[in-house]
Amino acid sequence: MATASFKNTRMIGIKTVVPEHCVNIDDELRYFENNPKKLSRAKKMMGYGRRYIADDNTTVTDMAVDAAEILMAEMKINRDEIDLLIFVNQNPDYPRPSDVCLAHGRLNLKKACTSLQINLGCSGYVHALMTAAGLMSSGAFKLCLLLCGDNPAHDISVDNRKIAPVFGDAVSATLLKYDCNAPESFFVTGTNGKKWDKIIHPFGGQALPFKKEDFDFRIHDEAGNVWTAEQGLMKGEDVFNFTMDVAPALLNDTMKAANWTAEDVDLFAIHQANKQIVEAIVFKAEIPAQKAPVETFSRYANNSVNSVATVLCDQKRDLKKVVLCSFGIGLSWGGAALDLSGMYNGGISTYISPKAKPTREQQIQHWINYFKGDEK
Amino acid sequence: MTNEEFLTEMQDVLQTEEELSMDTVLDDLDEWDSLSVMATMAFLEKSFGIKTTMKDYHEMKTIGDIAKKAGL
Repeated sequence: MATASFKNTRMIGIKTVVPEHCVNIDDELRYFENNPKKLSRAKKMMGYGRRYIADDNTTVTDMAVDAAEILMAEMKINRDEIDLLIFVNQNPDYPRPSDVCLAHGRLNLKKACTSLQINLGCSGYVHALMTAAGLMSSGAFKLCLLLCGDNPAHDISVDNRKIAPVFGDAVSATLLKYDCNAPESFFVTGTNGKKWDKIIHPFGGQALPFKKEDFDFRIHDEAGNVWTAEQGLMKGEDVFNFTMDVAPALLNDTMKAANWTAEDVDLFAIHQANKQIVEAIVFKAEIPAQKAPVETFSRYANNSVNSVATVLCDQKRDLKKVVLCSFGIGLSWGGAALDLSGMYNGGISTYISPKAKPTREQQIQHWINYFKGDEK
Repeated sequence: MTNEEFLTEMQDVLQTEEELSMDTVLDDLDEWDSLSVMATMAFLEKSFGIKTTMKDYHEMKTIGDIAKKAGL
């Protein structure tokens, strides 16, 4: 695993937003053959609880801009001082341009603001923090706004009970500041690109572009789950074995990089894949379970790229020494040891979707007019 | 871990009220589903350091087969 450490960068604030629409597993008895006993067993084993799902009118950038606006207002940040904007996600508003450019415009940031898009999933928040810290430690950039989120639940078919109850939507904004008195930050990252197909969306890229007929196919598995071409695939048992290989070692390697022991650590924010997986990681890593919450999964589900940020925001207290542990699609992983003393924790608030947004038809008409030159 | 301890643990892993024995046939258990397979994978990894794959579970017929995989 690659280890890096950076000075002079301090995480000064964080805020997560979730959509209004909340789904409770208790209302989804249909996933469990309408058997309350099976539902209660699954809740106990997997930690299923509530999850928030973005509506069809909401994009990741909508929510990221909202999180950033709230965070900047609460912290009285002058947006003209932001000279580095990073957006990490994999499920963008448009195939092109990058969401980071959309967000830059919507947030009215200055033109002399470097904007970088990072395309990573579950391990992305840690990689983005590392990128920010690396660019800022020299003093080249003074104030960074980091946006993160993917809204994984929005795109999953409710007919796919393998993954539908697992994912929830959440998007965050984080502020990092150049500060020569900041404590050093430590990062441990790695990739196993040979396992690129273990979590994958096969359709829609250059290898397998969509054709009209692809939208008609519906594949059923033995248990009756449905897979369509718009959806992703995951080899659960391979991902589980990868996680058990990587995540416990990642926690310990990250602590070692910072020269911390588990006693020094205030919070282990572990990617909330599900309760079973987080508990197995904690057990194997031999870290104290009371410092490694799994309750965030029951309250917000697995938020993919934002998961570790959701864990931070879900802590209703000031944080000190924190170890982040993230892993997933790629396959890719990242750990961070951060001293967050003094950081503003804006918690988790609700994103209210504006009612007056252009409909799908209006959007299409706009682009037709745009093409014909009737509209600029 | 003794066989008795293993059976008690498996009852908790599978979250079943059925009395288990080494001869219990997995497919006869209502609870033997994909959740249980993942839970058993986690249990074998956590308690015995043994990694398993889906293929292993297709080949296992009884609780005793899981015990054997665990090295009991």
